Amino acid sequence: MASTPAPRGTASADAPGDGPAARRTFSDTIRERPDEALVALLRERPDLASPSPSTLRSLAARASSRTSLERALARADAPTLQVLETVLVLETERPPVTPADVVAAVGAGGPVADGAGADPEGGPDGATAVERRIAAALEQALLWDAGEPGTPDLRAVPGLGEVLGPYPAGLGPHRDAGSRQGSFRQAPDDGTDPDGIAALDDLPPGAREVLDALTWGPPVGVVPPAGSAPRRAVDALVEAGLLQRADARTVVLPRDVGLALRGGRTHRDPRLEPPRAEVREVPAPTADAEAASAALEVVRLVDALIDLWDEAPPSVLRAGGLGVRDVRRAAQALGVDEATAAIVVELAASAELVADDGEAPPSYVPTTRADAWADADEADRWAMLAAAWAASRRTPWRAGSRDDKGTVRAPLSPDLHRAWVPRLRAQVLEALAGQPGAPLTAADVLAVLAWRTPRAVPPEAAVEGLLREAALLGATGAGALAGPGRALLALVSGPAQGMAGAGTDSPAFARGVSAAAHGMAGAGSDDPRERDADEPVDLVEALRAVLPAEVEEVLLQGDLTGIVPGRPSRPLARLLERTADAESRGAATTVRFSASSVTRALDLGATADELLAELAARSPVPVPQPLEYLVRDTARRHAALRVGSAGSYVRAADPAVLAGLAEDPRLASLGLVRLAPTVLAAAVPAAELHAALRERGLLAALEGPDGRPLGRLRRPPRVDRAGRRAGAPVATSAVTDDGRRALVERLRAAEAGDGRGRGPFPGTATGNGGALGASRTTALAAGRRPDDDADATAVDRLRSMSAAAGDALALLREAARDGEQVWVELVDAHGTPARRKLRPLKVEGGRLRALDPAREAELTVAVHRIAAVEPAEP
Amino acid sequence: MTDGPLIVQSDKSLLLEVDHPRAEAARRAIAPFAELERAPEHVHTYRLTNLGLWNARAAGHDAEQVVDTLIEFSRYPVPHALLVDVAETMSRYGRLQLVSHPTHGLVLQASDRAVLAEVLKSKRTAGLVGERIDDETVVVHRSERGHLKQVLVKLGWPAEDLAGYVDGEKHPIALSEVAAPRTPGDEPKPWSMRPYQQQAVDGFWHGGSGVVVLPCGAGKTIVGAGAMAKSGTTTLILVTNTVSARQWKDELVRRTTLTEDEIGEYSGTRKEIKPVTIATYQVLTTKRKGVYSHLELLDARDWGLVVYDEVHLLPAPIFRMTADLQARRRLGLTATLVREDGREDEVFSLIGPKRYDAPWKDIEAQGYIAPADCVEVRLTLPDHERMVYATAEPEDKYRLAACAPGKNKVVQQIVDQHPDDQVLVIGQYLDQLEELSAHLDAPLITGATTVRERQRLFDAFRSGEVSRLVVSKVANFSIDLPEASVAIQVSGSFGSRQEEAQRLGRVMRPKADGRTAHFYAVVARDTVDQEFAAHRQRFLAEQGYAYRIVDAEELDEVK
Repeated sequence: MASTPAPRGTASADAPGDGPAARRTFSDTIRERPDEALVALLRERPDLASPSPSTLRSLAARASSRTSLERALARADAPTLQVLETVLVLETERPPVTPADVVAAVGAGGPVADGAGADPEGGPDGATAVERRIAAALEQALLWDAGEPGTPDLRAVPGLGEVLGPYPAGLGPHRDAGSRQGSFRQAPDDGTDPDGIAALDDLPPGAREVLDALTWGPPVGVVPPAGSAPRRAVDALVEAGLLQRADARTVVLPRDVGLALRGGRTHRDPRLEPPRAEVREVPAPTADAEAASAALEVVRLVDALIDLWDEAPPSVLRAGGLGVRDVRRAAQALGVDEATAAIVVELAASAELVADDGEAPPSYVPTTRADAWADADEADRWAMLAAAWAASRRTPWRAGSRDDKGTVRAPLSPDLHRAWVPRLRAQVLEALAGQPGAPLTAADVLAVLAWRTPRAVPPEAAVEGLLREAALLGATGAGALAGPGRALLALVSGPAQGMAGAGTDSPAFARGVSAAAHGMAGAGSDDPRERDADEPVDLVEALRAVLPAEVEEVLLQGDLTGIVPGRPSRPLARLLERTADAESRGAATTVRFSASSVTRALDLGATADELLAELAARSPVPVPQPLEYLVRDTARRHAALRVGSAGSYVRAADPAVLAGLAEDPRLASLGLVRLAPTVLAAAVPAAELHAALRERGLLAALEGPDGRPLGRLRRPPRVDRAGRRAGAPVATSAVTDDGRRALVERLRAAEAGDGRGRGPFPGTATGNGGALGASRTTALAAGRRPDDDADATAVDRLRSMSAAAGDALALLREAARDGEQVWVELVDAHGTPARRKLRPLKVEGGRLRALDPAREAELTVAVHRIAAVEPAEP
Repeated sequence: MTDGPLIVQSDKSLLLEVDHPRAEAARRAIAPFAELERAPEHVHTYRLTNLGLWNARAAGHDAEQVVDTLIEFSRYPVPHALLVDVAETMSRYGRLQLVSHPTHGLVLQASDRAVLAEVLKSKRTAGLVGERIDDETVVVHRSERGHLKQVLVKLGWPAEDLAGYVDGEKHPIALSEVAAPRTPGDEPKPWSMRPYQQQAVDGFWHGGSGVVVLPCGAGKTIVGAGAMAKSGTTTLILVTNTVSARQWKDELVRRTTLTEDEIGEYSGTRKEIKPVTIATYQVLTTKRKGVYSHLELLDARDWGLVVYDEVHLLPAPIFRMTADLQARRRLGLTATLVREDGREDEVFSLIGPKRYDAPWKDIEAQGYIAPADCVEVRLTLPDHERMVYATAEPEDKYRLAACAPGKNKVVQQIVDQHPDDQVLVIGQYLDQLEELSAHLDAPLITGATTVRERQRLFDAFRSGEVSRLVVSKVANFSIDLPEASVAIQVSGSFGSRQEEAQRLGRVMRPKADGRTAHFYAVVARDTVDQEFAAHRQRFLAEQGYAYRIVDAEELDEVK
């Protein structure tokens, strides 16, 4: 451990806050921050700006509130947490804390006495990584520097200790020098004597083992039964001051002892790098090729789904979503399992290719975007899907599972919406990008994510689900991130995004999506190079880069198969779709011609000669005779039976009655066609025909049920989604650095007008109403789900009522920390205010624990009963 | 990526572009582990199957070779999952081995304890194995050697059979250097085995037991003779029918040092047991009072070699009997491993892995079998017959369509177009054949024709005395009609692919003057006959035989 020149008394250096520098408080450092640093703080911890704080003091209070800290820590990675724990421990045990101290204690600073010096992660790189995290923590106000420039004195933000729990880094409670008893003396700081716990030699056997067991945490042990040998060891340790009794049944290793036993280290292993999975890497061309074939396949699946729903739109469940039977039907039609079908359905809906038509009863039908889709080529289509997926907040992997009430969750139901999906998606893709070429399993990715945000580990099912979607979409190939996946990653986490990857509100994201939309609009016509050179993410190009070259030819063979030795070009694919059935897909496509497939082409209006000419033009070899025969033979039989549609008919026993009717110009509007000498078909409904004939003086009898529509049904109307497309599909946050700057300016102004700002809420609720309202709007615009606040504690509820209440809390916290007394105005259950002078002990969980010196009693009050706080005059 | 001739699809099919300069190299490289599925003119389709990969393992190829071959010849990156699957599948073969233990006799030995544990846990192995010797070894009941192998293939852990074979009773057999003439009076001709036949014999002998796949007309009998000469032991030959048995006998007498007296026939009419005995499947599977009464034949001598002709037709009871013959060397001969009943895995486990395979086209290209021209003639039924057909019961439809009277005229027309050829008319239904026989004034051979009469007619056909012959399905298998150059099929057993292959085989023998063989199928248009024909022809097209379709009315224009 680096030696620190600062003098360290055994007793006087314990309590932070001694000496001249200690006068500065956390609030002071917030106020002293330059504007840009405040802007940076608001950017890093967006919850501090919403709702807008009224003063810098309340900003500082909010920054040290439990809720905000929880949020900040949820985004912190493992080394950051190690740094925070270390500062928290060292600030009481060995102040003042310098960055070098932290580096050494974390174990990133090179050789240390306990032999962990061989640590591969130690050394200058480790030190840099730790220092970088200290700097970031200072910027995010998770740490603050109480020292003067040049003499750092790192402190943890007030409240951090509560959030990190009672045993940071697995170390026991802090004790004052005064409360240390027994023969234990502190180990030398330079760590030359890790066993400098001299008294150990005199302790009974087993004592060393007890200490070893507790050294690296958890520091609490159960007291062995009386009379046993271990009990004697424990008793001796307590006697020596090496253990403390926590209660009747447990003992705890005090922090200073633990630290000494650890040789001054707070962590055994610095976790500076994310864990790496030991897997065999997939060569990049393989990953890209597999991604490309997955991408083509998913486009085909969505295409098939649109066709299926065009023919027979499934109905929308009453609670929203797609019924089990319709999922099964889709799965069968697509030839995939139901879980995959659910993903495809969700993907198509996210891309707004299908939607609820809003009719009564409602059905899911293709939208007008599906027409744009039909005109686009494969890469453009894929980009539509990929851009939609990147922004999607859907959790299709949960479809088919049951909710709390036992109801099966349906694809497309509102129930599958989760706001955190885009952020997790970015994290998963980042984890894959962290190990290029490595096919990571869900467990591997989860290990990385657990390192990245140890306090907010996502559920494994979600990671699995996202990986599965990524594979289906072709973001990954053979399990490793492929070219298209990297483009998607760039899209979901723009260059400005940090590790936490706030995701969707990145401007780069919106640009990427519009790039995809651009690609779609210009499908088929424009040269891709015409696009803006500075377009950051181009999904279309990313996919084109990995797609195999297009093939224009099909090899026709005598066994009625055709082989496209590569990826068919769009016109060729269309020709084959019409005329043949695919037998095998992949790098090449094998199709088979059969009577039914040729019939399909003939149904679409082609003649045998046209079809053969088209095939011949696409084939490098002559059309084989059996194929030609098949086409001609099928065409010959094709017209043998004919089907048409008619609205109604007239029949008569005597052909003479019908003579001349079909040719009568006065009846031309009826669209009469002679089918047989005694039968005419009409285009109009039976009732109209009946009336028209009657008018002409022919009395006809109506047959069968009238007005029944015959013939093919009209295509169901489509829902227009084009309008929504024009806007950004994802609401981007209105909170920009400009907005943050404006807020900082307001805060500075309040600061100037309000002096120290310690007044008990002067008109804050109304005075800040405008700002409050504005920030609410901002929150909504940013797409924050309403239940974001559900977990907020009473502190936050109070804060949202009165922004300046933060001041009161800050005062209470600082008073608790400094052991000062304050005037507190309490409101009792009947609304009666009472003013008492209290010495706050702790503000936690929405409660204030305080000592009333006048009554010599301790009391706990909910903070929402506190109307005002004023510092007591000394 | 290389610009290879092979495209590897993730559905485990391999597409080989025939015209690619490296196509031949690729074909040779993938042949050991991939089954040729279709061989039309431009792109051949091979398929990777578990059995195919295990066959390759049995032949000494390892997964790395297979993976390298695929990557080397593939035009596009090979699907990762497929490579993983290949390696996984191939690693399954040989983890279990059947070996002879010096003290415990036949044992199943595992190189992987977990596999043995998994296999023994299965209900299907219960009763087949005995005492567990240690973690890796378990005793196998000698009588269950075949049965166990069958079960292990089904469980996905095929065992390598290294337990060896009994030597069998010695009986010297050698190939004669000159072949005796078929017709008395001709000069004996010197002969030797063709290179691929020699390779087939060597491949089989090296592997111990197994199947040799050769096209019809490629001389499977000679491969059998070669194997017998190599073995030099008493041999049991199982064939499909009596005519085939006679032909085996004739051929063996011509090609080997064996004399007529050393070869016995065990059939419905004769029950001889000699050093080389030829038995029919039929007599072996005949039951009397519920038991197979001729089973003792299998133990009548200490056979050193058992030859199975036409393995793809092996009836189920023969499989069961074969399960008890695992200690003897077994040679299977066939034109195709495709079985209509899908029991390919039993052939694999009981007869043995594939030891040699040559695609038809290759052998044709070498000039050992005749090139063939296949034509489907479509006959439009007259209106009244169409009406009868349209209203017929489904089960009668095929017969009605196949026996359309109009076919007689078409056949007559085709026969007239080939005045100088030996023409064979093949059909399924006797009354139709009788009609045709009368119409063409040609002799008829059916199952009811006596063996003597058959022999007489075949001899007459060979000598050219009779140039037209109408035959029923007895002609499907193993009758040697060397100079038939035109076959006309008027009806078949529904859509059987292997029947089509056999019938085509009738005209495949190389012709003295190298002329092209013709294969006609006459079908009734717009009926099930046409559908079945399409199914059969798919097989031909897949085998690389281009076929044409002509209307009966335009038959004159063909030729």
